[in-house]
This record gives sequence, structure tokens and C-alpha cells, in this order.
Amino acid sequence: MAGLELLSDQGYRLDGRKATELRKVQARMGVFAQADGSAYLEQGNTKALAVVYGPHEIRGARSRALHDRAIINCQYSMATFSTAERKRRPHGDRKSTEMSLHLKQTFEAAVLTQLYPRSQIDIYVKILQSDGGNYSVCVNAATLAVIDAGIPMRDYVCACTVGFVDETSLADLCYAEESGGVSSLALALLPRGGQIALVQMDARLHQDHLDTLIEAAMTACKGVSKVLDQVVRQHLQEGSTLRE
Amino acid sequence: MSPTRLCVPGDKLCSVEDCILGTGVYLRHGYIYSSLAGYVLKKNEGEQLPVISVVRETEVQLLPDVGAIVTCKVTSINSRFAKVHILYVGSTPLKDLFRGTIRKEDVRATEKDKVEMHRSFRPGDIVLAKVISLGDVQSNYLLTTAENELGVVVAHSDAARAQMVPISWCEMQCPQTHTKEFRKVARVQPEYLEA
Repeated sequence: MAGLELLSDQGYRLDGRKATELRKVQARMGVFAQADGSAYLEQGNTKALAVVYGPHEIRGARSRALHDRAIINCQYSMATFSTAERKRRPHGDRKSTEMSLHLKQTFEAAVLTQLYPRSQIDIYVKILQSDGGNYSVCVNAATLAVIDAGIPMRDYVCACTVGFVDETSLADLCYAEESGGVSSLALALLPRGGQIALVQMDARLHQDHLDTLIEAAMTACKGVSKVLDQVVRQHLQEGSTLRE
Repeated sequence: MSPTRLCVPGDKLCSVEDCILGTGVYLRHGYIYSSLAGYVLKKNEGEQLPVISVVRETEVQLLPDVGAIVTCKVTSINSRFAKVHILYVGSTPLKDLFRGTIRKEDVRATEKDKVEMHRSFRPGDIVLAKVISLGDVQSNYLLTTAENELGVVVAHSDAARAQMVPISWCEMQCPQTHTKEFRKVARVQPEYLEA
């Protein structure tokens, strides 16, 4: 079968990275003044914008209110110009709803919702350019936005998409690798405690390879967490010098 | 008491034997971890263990809690209750408004059944109230003004739209037309009155 080799003999991938190498992560916090928290994150060519509002009173259906904690409302959408072909339906389609639900589950595990009974926290994420690993980039951007909003969390939530090809785990897949028939697994991790918030996979993988793949994903997530940590600390430093 | 170092969510600060939990931190397996990105603050309070908390530059959104004194604006009245928008919790303004309800029986402490809502509040009045409940599925925050220091603080008269002056606990007078209107007036502490 002619085509691009996902992993060459020398161990290089399609974009020249090694198997365990992550894409370049660049992020900025506090990009919007009117939202409670916001962040912009780029991981390679995938760009995501996350905005957080809250905690505030529950809007709309008051029956959804929980008496002892806050509800987290997530919305995931892709810009119409984010993919190679113009997207006809940016939100409301099955994939977006599923992603929104996964984001909600991920953040319910990390945010200390017991501190805000009967209120709601909104997390909106928009993908501006999609080049693979959409879920992971969303989670990373949303983590920074939640920290920017000052909402208490147990730990960072870092996510990474990994794939398995030729007995090797590839960390941080790009679009070409995802659509090239790699079994991809997305994992969201709380790095300090090593707790997994969410694992998502809908491909076929032999049981024997699962442990290796999850190990590779956890290592990649810890790498992402180091970068996010730097971004947060730098943002705090800048904020404090302005105040002084 | 000066702020020491930066910390991020998930940073292990100290053991629970060394400090007491403050705000912005949580407890897990006997250790205290930070839950916010900010500065670590350790306050010494007498012989007890120091209180450790994490503070941010900007204040987090405060939620009205049971027992808090809130400043609200009346939006509509009914013979049974008054609906208000909660604007301030204590002295912190809220970014988003919360809705509250003052029931007829919570307007004052005495003669609760003889209360007439239109003689206690009017739409547009600024009221000091206390939160008695976070509310259940149906209702909003429940507030009470059944104390001397709670009630209407600012009201505008019907005719002249001028700010009225309180004359007694149940009446206010317009300075331009000298007409008296009924409100449940708050007794403002002497130290808050300008000389």
C-alpha cells in the first residue's frame, strides 16, 4: 500500500517528531477581559480558545440545580473554518455533543464543586484550527481558563491523544496520523496524584498493548503539565508586577 | 503575614498537623494542597496552629451564603412576596446578579400577618436584607428584613423621583413635595451617617 509511513525505520514520524515527542505548546491566559476566565492554547497546528463563566446562578432549568454542589455546563464547538473543508454544522451535531459530555465529566472530577452549591459554571471551548487531538487541546485550554477564573481545582487536568502503530506508542497525534488508521486513545490525567479523569478510545487495540499505551499517555500528559505549569506561573508573575 | 510564594492547583503545601485549612486549599490524605493559582498566605492566630490559605489578585466570585447581609434592588412586588435582584454581598459587588425573594412574613418581626407589601417596598427600592436560605428547586434565595437594621435604605418618591428621607421605621418623606410614603425603613447605624 503506497502512502505515507506513520513511523519510519529511523523512528521519525510524518512531521519529523520522534515517537514520544509532543508538539510545541504555546498558551496565553486572560485573553478576554469580559469573561471570568479565558485561555488560548496551541498544540502544534491545533488551536483552541476556552472561556469560563461562573460560578453564577443557574440559568434556565432550575430543576437541574444540585443542592450540594455546582453543575458544570460545557459546550464544545468547532469554527466553520477549522477544518480542510468548511464545516456545515459547527455545533449540535453528535460529535460535538459527545465531546461536550466528555469535557463535563473530566472537569467534574477536578473542580471542587462542593464549594458552590446551587450554582453553575460554564466552560465554552472553540476549536479555531483542527489538526488532531481536539479533545486533548480542549481540556488543556479549559484547564488554563478555569485557573484564570480562580475556580478551585484539585490539580491541573492535562490530556493527550496517543496512538499505537508498529509496536510503538506515538504521543500527541496529529490529524494525518489519526486518520491514517492508528488506534488512538485520549487520556485526561491529574498529574500530581496520577489519577485518570477520563479515558476515551473507539478503535481496536489488542489487550496486551493497552498497558503500554496508557503508560505512554500518562507520560505525555505529565510533559504537558510541565508546560502548563510554566504558563500559569509566568502569568501570575506578570499579574503581580502590574499590581506592584 | 506577607505573601510568600506562588503556588498552582495541586501543589502540596504542608501537612495537616502543621496548619489549619483556610480558603483556596483542600485536604487529601493528611496533606494540604492548593486549589487556586496564587500566593500562599500563612496567618498566625494566637496559640493555635497558623491558618494557611491561597489568595489571588482578583477576588473570586462570591456567592451569597446563609446569614450574609446583602444589598438588593426590588424588581417586582406581589401581595405575598417581593422579588429582588441581589447586587452586593456585604461590601463586595457581584458581577452577575442573583435573584432573591422576600416573603410577606419575613418583612418584619412583629405583626407578620398584618404586613402589606405595597406599604413596605416598592419596585426600585434598595434594600438591606439577610439570607435565610439558599432556596430549593422552585425558589430563589430567600431573604428577610425582620430586624431593625434591615429594610429599605434608598427609595425614590412617586411624584418627584427625588431620594426620600426616612422619618420613622415605617415612613419616608420626599424633600420636594413633602408627601409621606410608607416603607419598611432600615435603621442605619450612626457611624455610617455622614456628618
